[in-house]
Amino acid sequence: MRSFQYSRPSSLTAAAGEMGGLLAQDPDAPAAYLAGGTTLLDLMKLDVARPERVIDLSALRGELGHVHPGATELRLGAFARMAEVAAHPGVIADYPVIAQSLALAASAQLRNMASLGGNVLQRTRCSYFRDPSWAACNKRTPGSGCAALGGVNRAHAVLGTSEHCIATYPGDFAQALLALDATLVLAGPQGSRTLPFGSLHQLPAATPHRETTLLPGELITEFVIPARAWTRRSLYLKVRDRESYEFAVASAAVALDLDGDVVREARIALGGVATIPWRAHGAEDALRGLTLTETLAWTAAENAFAAARPQTHNAFKIDLGQAALMRALLQAASLEIRP
Amino acid sequence: MTEVRFTVNGTAQCVEVEPRLTLADMLREECGLTGTHLGCEHGVCGACTVLMDGLPVRSCLVFGVQAEGAEIRTVEGLAAADGTLNVLQRAFQAQHGLQCGFCTPGFLMLATWLLEQKEGVDEARLREVLASNLCRCTGYQNILAAVRVAAQEIRVWREG
Amino acid sequence: MTGPLFPQGGPNMGQPAPRYEGRAKVTGEARYPSDVRLPRTAHACLHLSRIGRGTIRGFDLTAARAVHGVIDILTHETVGDAIRQTPAIYQGGYTSDSLLPLGSAEIAHWGQPIAMVVAETYEAAREAAQRIVVTTAPHPSPAVDINAPGAETRALEPMMVQAGDFDAAYAAGPIRIDARYTTPAQHQNPMELFATQCVWEGDRLTVHEPSQYVNSVKFGLAEQLGVPADNIRVISTHVGGAFGAKGFLTQRTALVAIAARRLGRPVKLVATREQGFTVSGYRAETRQHVQLAATRDGRLTALRHEGWELTSRADTVAMGGASMTTRLYACPNILGRVNTVAADRSTPGFMRAPGEVPYGFALETALDELADRLGMDPVELRRVNDTQTEPVGGLPYTSRSLMRCFDVAAATFGWSGRSPRPGSMREGDWLIGWGCASAYYPAQAGNSAARVRLTADGTAHVASAGHELGQGMTTMMAQVAAEELGVPLERVTVSLGDSDLPPAVVNGGSAGTASVASAIMIACDAIRARLGVPRDAPYAALRAAVAASGLAFVEELGEARAHGRSPESLPDMYRGRALPLGGVELPDRVQFAMGAQFVELRIHRWTREIRVRRAVGAFAAGRIINPRTSHSQLLGGMIWGIGSALHEHTDIDQRNAAYTNANLADYLVPVHADISEIQAILVSEEDRLVNQAGVKGVGEIGVVGVAAAISNAVFHATGRRLRDLPIKLEHLL
Repeated sequence: MRSFQYSRPSSLTAAAGEMGGLLAQDPDAPAAYLAGGTTLLDLMKLDVARPERVIDLSALRGELGHVHPGATELRLGAFARMAEVAAHPGVIADYPVIAQSLALAASAQLRNMASLGGNVLQRTRCSYFRDPSWAACNKRTPGSGCAALGGVNRAHAVLGTSEHCIATYPGDFAQALLALDATLVLAGPQGSRTLPFGSLHQLPAATPHRETTLLPGELITEFVIPARAWTRRSLYLKVRDRESYEFAVASAAVALDLDGDVVREARIALGGVATIPWRAHGAEDALRGLTLTETLAWTAAENAFAAARPQTHNAFKIDLGQAALMRALLQAASLEIRP
Repeated sequence: MTEVRFTVNGTAQCVEVEPRLTLADMLREECGLTGTHLGCEHGVCGACTVLMDGLPVRSCLVFGVQAEGAEIRTVEGLAAADGTLNVLQRAFQAQHGLQCGFCTPGFLMLATWLLEQKEGVDEARLREVLASNLCRCTGYQNILAAVRVAAQEIRVWREG
Repeated sequence: MTGPLFPQGGPNMGQPAPRYEGRAKVTGEARYPSDVRLPRTAHACLHLSRIGRGTIRGFDLTAARAVHGVIDILTHETVGDAIRQTPAIYQGGYTSDSLLPLGSAEIAHWGQPIAMVVAETYEAAREAAQRIVVTTAPHPSPAVDINAPGAETRALEPMMVQAGDFDAAYAAGPIRIDARYTTPAQHQNPMELFATQCVWEGDRLTVHEPSQYVNSVKFGLAEQLGVPADNIRVISTHVGGAFGAKGFLTQRTALVAIAARRLGRPVKLVATREQGFTVSGYRAETRQHVQLAATRDGRLTALRHEGWELTSRADTVAMGGASMTTRLYACPNILGRVNTVAADRSTPGFMRAPGEVPYGFALETALDELADRLGMDPVELRRVNDTQTEPVGGLPYTSRSLMRCFDVAAATFGWSGRSPRPGSMREGDWLIGWGCASAYYPAQAGNSAARVRLTADGTAHVASAGHELGQGMTTMMAQVAAEELGVPLERVTVSLGDSDLPPAVVNGGSAGTASVASAIMIACDAIRARLGVPRDAPYAALRAAVAASGLAFVEELGEARAHGRSPESLPDMYRGRALPLGGVELPDRVQFAMGAQFVELRIHRWTREIRVRRAVGAFAAGRIINPRTSHSQLLGGMIWGIGSALHEHTDIDQRNAAYTNANLADYLVPVHADISEIQAILVSEEDRLVNQAGVKGVGEIGVVGVAAAISNAVFHATGRRLRDLPIKLEHLL
């Protein structure tokens, strides 16, 4: 790990101001925000992240740590602890997919450390990204190539890949946000704005190093999740190699609005199989207006993976992703929803 | 170098460290508290777990400078001043919740936090929380038993 | 629930005494080698090769040297001839591989240490190590694994096992099984990292290093450095798990020693978790071929087991597990063969039940295939082929309780409730599978010594350079002395893990307890003889005898010679050459601990996650000195077996043999949540032949057979026979 300067501003305004000052001097200033720290510190040890300036946001926990489940929307401060949100009765009852995606992420202990904002911005677990001795990584070094393409790629993505990058987005919470049409509140040196969560992550395409649409120095301050007809019939299904404390091999966040057995509306986001949190619009369309049967669920699942492109070791993720989605849909349909 | 003031097991500390020093190394190298062990240095094994302002953290994933103003608790602070072991330490001994002992301080601190939660502990919660830490020797069963027995002794155990 | 944690003592079972060093370990007072604080310590960090086989063209150390606090950088260019080439243990030497540390510009494999930075702080050393720039000429196509085209296969003729006429019997067999199996590379990953601290005082060197064999480090280092062994002391009081990874001298120790000598101050190295994947040995991947023939009532008529094991170019290392799988069941016609496949990898080594885990998986799965073909209960198949005479040489087992283990475990598990047809047991969306397999491990011992001192105040002290790896060596040593002398346990103290103490066997091969306990018993016999106190005399009589002797203390050294070792071999232990012997290596008999493993798992009908719901193992391993520590060893072993079957697998990049999951996030070991219920049963067994202590050892047998029981349960759940480990959900989609 390289040396850096450290500061801990006492407020959001001070933090954004400090970062703004650095960027004003140098638009490419090697500065980083430190939230829960679980991703940044790890990558700094690996010499993948090399910030010269680290702005610690832990003082913002008080200011941005709220959990407000309401009748029309759920508002979550970006510094609310994952554990706290996952255990909140109002979230569990009315926004189950949110609570489940957080409860199934990482370990109980990391859920105490990591912030919500940091969680959705966590970097890929791609071994080749995480080890700088592999020269070829377009995410680390634009234009250098992709070592994962010819390497060990069981864990890599089958959806949203490009010839430049196949790294999987590793998180769980993001799929829940995506399925529920969440909105982000952002703050930065240029002020604050809102952004649909679905517009946050960028496909790797030819620029895998650009992972999000955040502006320089911008940070997430709040998540707003609207309560809709399908929100309470929602769940997160996570398939992993180990029973606990492990990233998804495949996951599905689903939300259904049913009229009897007929799907009025469906929301589907997939994890573990794609380069970004993956919204399966085609699968949603395939369900809408039809009676949800095992056959229909398979049709939707096949649709979700129609564009999948397997690598040497991960073709199974297509079958597995389909099975996970189907299982999630049938499970969601069978939920007892209190009026 | 940055000055950091914090307390460890109730004792005030003031050290000058590089910002890149982790909390784990700060405790081990600057405070001489080598009971906190490093098993992976990438936040997975949990051997380095300490309590920071009441919450369990992996001290290998926290910078020492982040402990400014914090209350830190480590394994060295569990026993009473006269050396009497606390309920968890006794339970880990009695139930044989350890073999090589390298992961033990981390498990003890994680369990300390768990037992201090106001809602109490049941079997599901016990297994969920303790899955945060790795042990390569014991097969885990006796670790679970130790925390269960300790929870029963201090009456925070809830039958599932 | 988990069943009795500390089973009631049987006729051959000691007391479940609490762990001797338990207090130190729950208070943080236990000092592991990396916890020892030496004044003025400089910190080292390794730089490992990032290419596969190849050549170093040159180093650019400018950026590394510029890091504030850097003191010294060792490379093959700066070390010169400070370290001598010495033979590896496989050639009668001490080191875990034959590569000379920083010996030349040649790189044998990815992950080889090619530089070491020493700096004022660990942070500076690590940064500088990351900033070293190496220019290399990589070999165009290194052989990365056991299947690589450039790997060299070699048959190991001395490991061939033969009885009867396999070919003829197999051809004539009414029922035949012919199957191939593979097992992956795996890493021990003890929780404690590979640490070494070296400090010189004049020409005397002290090494603090977690070790299973301090004398291997001491005498090997003496050879490497050209220093008299008497000048070297190796201390390893607490070891944070080892599992074979800390058995022998690795390259790092000499580097730290010479760095400390160059600087004239202590140097401390703690290899990172990732570096640990090539700093020591590992379980090599294998391919195996099993052929079985049997009569229609299940009697084996022919058994062939051939293995291919990966090794390095530098060392021919084979665990040779076919020597044991061919000696487990009655069968007149047997053929066992072992081959090595040399590739551009680091030298493999020992990992808990090194030969037994992979070979046991293949044979015990093949037997399940046979049982299925015969329509026979797999437990009954083992019963039909049970024997008290080893089938190759016709030698007796010193004791064998395989079927008692099966009967106890089957009853506890509820095996009679099994519906034999694959796929016939279900619960909702989950397919249920039950499977079983035999466990076995050779009972071994090595020459060992122990010193026991009985003091006039009635206390006793036991000392031996055995090791506390967590298995309970310290507690056992105290218990044996207490029992042999009749001194209360709380009045016995123990020293171990120090090369200045009487030497003990390498603490591997499950031989530690048997060997050291025997030595303590001999020392205690000598003390009682000197005092004229009979066995079973009351404590008061013993104390009175010491007082009457007028001596401040009575001290005796016990030297135990392992069965099969010559009297002339005894001095070897004083030169770091005390290796285990036993199992199938003896001329007059065969020694095995045995057990039975039962597993229930569930597999989701859609997404195919495999989860072990419960496991029951029963083990007969001779005398159990401490049921508490032994039981824990067996439980831990069984969890290892589950990991070995379902999780553990070192990923190898096909371009350069890089390990791409060399960390604990991606190299999966089981967590609490993976196992709902696990039970290890100690089956009482008396063996007065196996060694003086009657102990067979329990450190490794718990792992053996679990993977087969799991693969057999997967077959039972799904009808799919999976012969390649680890079994993952994609194999069942």
